[in-house]
Amino acid sequence: MKQKYKIILSIISSIIVIMMGVGLGSIKVSPSHIINIIINKLFSMPLHADIEGATAVSIIWKLRLPRTLLAFLVGGAVAVSGSVMQSVLKNPLASSYTLGVSSGASLGAALVIVTGFYIPILGLFTLPVTGLAFGMATVYSAVKFAAMMDKNLETNTIILVGMVFSLFVNAILTLIMAVAKDHLAQLTFWQMGSFSLKDWSSVIILFPIVLIGVIVIQSFSKEMDIMTFGEEQAFTMGVDVHKVKWSLLSLSAALTGSAIAFVGVIGFIDLIAPHVVRKIFGSNHKTVIPMSMLFGGSFMVICDLIARTIVSPSELPVGAITALIGAPFFAYVYFSRRKGL
Amino acid sequence: MLTLQNVNAGYNGIDVIYNISFSVKEGESLCIIGPNGCGKTTLIKAISGLITHEGSIKIDGVEINKMKRADVAEKIAVMSQISTIYFSYSIYETVLLGRYLHMKGRTFKEPSVRDREYTDKCLKAVGLFNIKHKQINELSGGQLQRVYLARTLAQEPDIILLDEPTNHLDLKHQTELIDFLKDWSKYKGHSVIGVMHDLNLAIKLSDNILVLDKGNMAAYGNTHEVISSNILNKVYDMNITEYMVDSLRQWESYNPYLNINKLRKVN
Repeated sequence: MKQKYKIILSIISSIIVIMMGVGLGSIKVSPSHIINIIINKLFSMPLHADIEGATAVSIIWKLRLPRTLLAFLVGGAVAVSGSVMQSVLKNPLASSYTLGVSSGASLGAALVIVTGFYIPILGLFTLPVTGLAFGMATVYSAVKFAAMMDKNLETNTIILVGMVFSLFVNAILTLIMAVAKDHLAQLTFWQMGSFSLKDWSSVIILFPIVLIGVIVIQSFSKEMDIMTFGEEQAFTMGVDVHKVKWSLLSLSAALTGSAIAFVGVIGFIDLIAPHVVRKIFGSNHKTVIPMSMLFGGSFMVICDLIARTIVSPSELPVGAITALIGAPFFAYVYFSRRKGL
Repeated sequence: MLTLQNVNAGYNGIDVIYNISFSVKEGESLCIIGPNGCGKTTLIKAISGLITHEGSIKIDGVEINKMKRADVAEKIAVMSQISTIYFSYSIYETVLLGRYLHMKGRTFKEPSVRDREYTDKCLKAVGLFNIKHKQINELSGGQLQRVYLARTLAQEPDIILLDEPTNHLDLKHQTELIDFLKDWSKYKGHSVIGVMHDLNLAIKLSDNILVLDKGNMAAYGNTHEVISSNILNKVYDMNITEYMVDSLRQWESYNPYLNINKLRKVN
């Protein structure tokens, strides 16, 4: 199939998945009603006569739409971040988590939960902002330390230092969890990730961060293509490798950090989405970045839909669903493509 | 075009090459030879700016230290050795990356007509145009070497640096590559600087030869003068002439796929 058609099909699939995420649940709402409710809220247009009362409108507008959009943004952000990390570090298993962003964010969140630390101006956003700050600080410290050890900032040095920092921060987190047993359930739940009870405020904050982050990353797509062939080659072809590497590592960590700060640690999508996208669309980052956004976002929406509906009215941790569905799906895509099926 | 004066360079503050001085003029091919560990690759890295150096390296009279990275890359291209392919691209996409500097300012745009045409010309020049949509992880070592050559040519440099370019190539493809580079160096006054292990290929390619021994210049000058001196026997610690064959016969009886005329038509 031509690349253009694959892209169109992906966009249509993503819209369908978002509609499913919004429409399915204890009360089912058709796509036309969803669109009608959105138009009603945005432009004060009248509702269809057959939309039942204020409940459906409230469920769609106040609960499911922000939750689904947040899931899409978070999934897309971590998938794009994973694509960047894999290319920059030339390691198919690399992600922002490799550099300690999730460990740092978890530590920040744990400190807020355990100490009850609260910044009045941030209100309820104290936890995500502290998580983001700690996640970014961990990555920054790891890369800075790697640069001190190796001024060429070699990939292996970054990965090794990132892993050491990540393990070290995790150890502190384990100590906190061991001491603060009263908060153990809350801390564990945060680390499993969840989209429940998220409203528009999270979407409104995360949307511009993800949009700007992805556009800036997209502007580096040629550099990422060249750097996958090796940094020395990229340097001799005129790429400012040091600057590009720092920029991409920072942007990638910021994307993941912002995303998980709102919903907790959700893994696996950052690893599988870029691989699946490369298998379908090839390795050119001009396509890989936007398609990772679509695929990661759609996949997260499906996982969240399953997490909240399969044992309704209870919810499963979405992080577990991403791995449960993602692992066999990834194996299917990877091996079937490899055999040329 | 390129001038080196008293260049020292190395790694972690320890010099590996000492007091290297030579110049390469337009249309000239220079081969750097010497036993393993003599500093050939270090010299190529110093010229390409991959490692720092002391002394003077000038392109067209300007110190490369004072030039922007992109300006150096416009003048000098390095043909890479084959390395691990982490993520596969098509042949066309890979060669098009050589146009990186020419495509600056077109971040969100498609490549220009000239960029696409020049990429096609480079692919034709190395005989890969007909399979340009094939993935590079499906290619043989020889084909991949030609992809990298095409990408280097796509950069439109004045000077090409090569570090053992005939690795992975069989005899036929080695001779064709050397002939192509020889032609390219004469074409519009470009220059080629190559690190070579095979002395026959070095003789065939070069106008001048630089012999390195333990990081020092053991000999430098006209290829035939250097080769016919006894210096090689001393540097390699063996009777080199005994192993030298008349390589010229190798170049006569084949039909090359590398064709400089296909590249000439571009401009």
